[in-house]
Amino acid sequence: MAEILLRAEDLEVYYATRAGVVKAVDRVRFEMGRGETLGLVGESGCGKSTLGFSILRLVPPPGKIVGGDIIFAGENLLEKDEEEMRKIRGSRISMIFQDPMTCLDPLERIGDHIVETITTHDQGIKRAEAWKRAEEMLDRLGIDPSRLEDYPHQLSGGMRQRVMIALALILNSELVIADEPTTSLDVIVEAQILDLLKQLKEDYELTLMLITHNMGIVAELADRVAVMYAAKMVEVAEALPLYEKPMHPYTQGLLRSIPNISLTEQVLATMPGSPPDLIRPPSGCRFHPRCPYVKDECKEIEPPMREVEREHLVACHLY
Amino acid sequence: MSEKLVEVHDLFKWFPVQKSFLETLLARKLDYIRAVDGIDFEVRRGEVFGLAGESGSGKTTTGRLILRLIEPTRGGIFFDGRNVLTVNGEEMRRLRQRMQLIFQDPYASLNPRMKIGTAIGHGLEIHGIAKGQRERDLVIQMMERVGLTPAATLYEKYPHQLSGGQRQRAVIARALILHPDLIVADEPIAMADVSVRALILHLMMELKEEFDLTYLFITHDLATAKYICDRIAIMYLGKIVESGPLREVYSHPQHPYTEALLSAVPVPNPRARREHIIPKGEIPSPINPPSGCRFHPRCPYAMEICSKDEPRFAGTKDGHLVACHLRR
Repeated sequence: MAEILLRAEDLEVYYATRAGVVKAVDRVRFEMGRGETLGLVGESGCGKSTLGFSILRLVPPPGKIVGGDIIFAGENLLEKDEEEMRKIRGSRISMIFQDPMTCLDPLERIGDHIVETITTHDQGIKRAEAWKRAEEMLDRLGIDPSRLEDYPHQLSGGMRQRVMIALALILNSELVIADEPTTSLDVIVEAQILDLLKQLKEDYELTLMLITHNMGIVAELADRVAVMYAAKMVEVAEALPLYEKPMHPYTQGLLRSIPNISLTEQVLATMPGSPPDLIRPPSGCRFHPRCPYVKDECKEIEPPMREVEREHLVACHLY
Repeated sequence: MSEKLVEVHDLFKWFPVQKSFLETLLARKLDYIRAVDGIDFEVRRGEVFGLAGESGSGKTTTGRLILRLIEPTRGGIFFDGRNVLTVNGEEMRRLRQRMQLIFQDPYASLNPRMKIGTAIGHGLEIHGIAKGQRERDLVIQMMERVGLTPAATLYEKYPHQLSGGQRQRAVIARALILHPDLIVADEPIAMADVSVRALILHLMMELKEEFDLTYLFITHDLATAKYICDRIAIMYLGKIVESGPLREVYSHPQHPYTEALLSAVPVPNPRARREHIIPKGEIPSPINPPSGCRFHPRCPYAMEICSKDEPRFAGTKDGHLVACHLRR
């Protein structure tokens, strides 16, 4: 792997709810090299979005980072004060959200929003110059620069998502976290945005964390893939080995159970049960109640993450 | 008994656009959203017929029209040979028993204050089929059949106490308890967890055999449609642009829009990263759809005629129909 840009160690993020403590991210560790695209996949409620938010220290209350370290470019983000974090957010680490409509101010023109983002982090820049940079960025992302005069509701869903990408890229962030960036879009517009991200990855040497439940989207973009299940990281590997030789029974089951339009004959496998309640997760390996290979030790001992093959990490007692 | 369970002829549904009082006074005519704008298709007994398209294509409106949950602007809908639009109230109630709906969001379609068992059995009461202990027995039996077990315990639960997968099973049980002929399933797995989706699809296919069901399967997901549909119709801006046997349509798409949709679906295989054939832009407004062929402003093969004349929806072979000037 290239130079490590981001490393999380034993990260724990909890939500204190009336029903009990939800351990949304439970002692997770992973790293990202500069310039790589890491696909973070898992089902809804597995903690992947919480993990993304925690890197920016923006976990929504009552969520709280209760343990671990997040090392970004050699510095521990969990030791920064709020003022330092504000400088990092948007300029060195930025985020693209699922629903752009909720992230754009309905009363602010797109251009003003982008210009404000630039001037907040660079007080020396003139407004006209910032506007020109916004125009260039929009043009680069395939939107007519005159649309800077528009309000969010005047743009289509695809264009709004492009504006979100513009906001994430305008300050040359070192790390971009994209949380389900295409989930609210139709399939053709989704493909347009994925193609755009692919192009930007090369042009800007982006380091991209792509958070999604869709194994198809990860396959399109990711260099490496991290699979989460019930707040735990269960498997991390380069994309090709992960898809062709998945090792964790959860990853195996997931890949066999998702429809693949390109295969002519494929019988969809099914996985029994459903993802567990994170207030009272199963003991031992959290996947054991659904696992076809379950052994006694799986019910009691939590499997540690081990490098089973080169660069292929799995948390499973089978290996 | 007719081989065609559902026939739809030249069906239209235009929704008037809400305007302020002042605008109504000044405007010469009303604007309409042409949600369904002249479609023809049939669903054969015992098949799974897919209705696919992006949001705003009119697929959900079509499903609701068939069940007569909304009235069409014009056109014909026949269910088992009978004109759904002209039958009287009493006969419609009898027909409704034979056509049931499964919605996308099981949470929204279950009454939060009604116990799961009561919700499933509600239709039996309404149609005067069973009540009391007999109703309960039928419900428990159906719950067991769809995998809602232990049925006696889950009978007493409220929707929020069930998992997403269990709720979807409850909705399926509620639809099946009246032993319908047709089930209109509108994105039935879109809200379910990824690892639970295959299970629900399998269940739906098993139940289809067991109860001799016919499905109208409404979806935006062409990969899922591949596993369940026998025939499929692709909708775009209120029109069907292509329809036919699923294998035919998927292996030899005739309409440029179908071709684009199929190539846009992400494939879970890093080796399959491919150059998409992606049309530019997004679906235009259904209020003033483009002239001629509605896809022409985005079509990579558009010719002069495409912006002028609307292409006829006609057959190529083996029941494979397409509306495109390229295929004439």
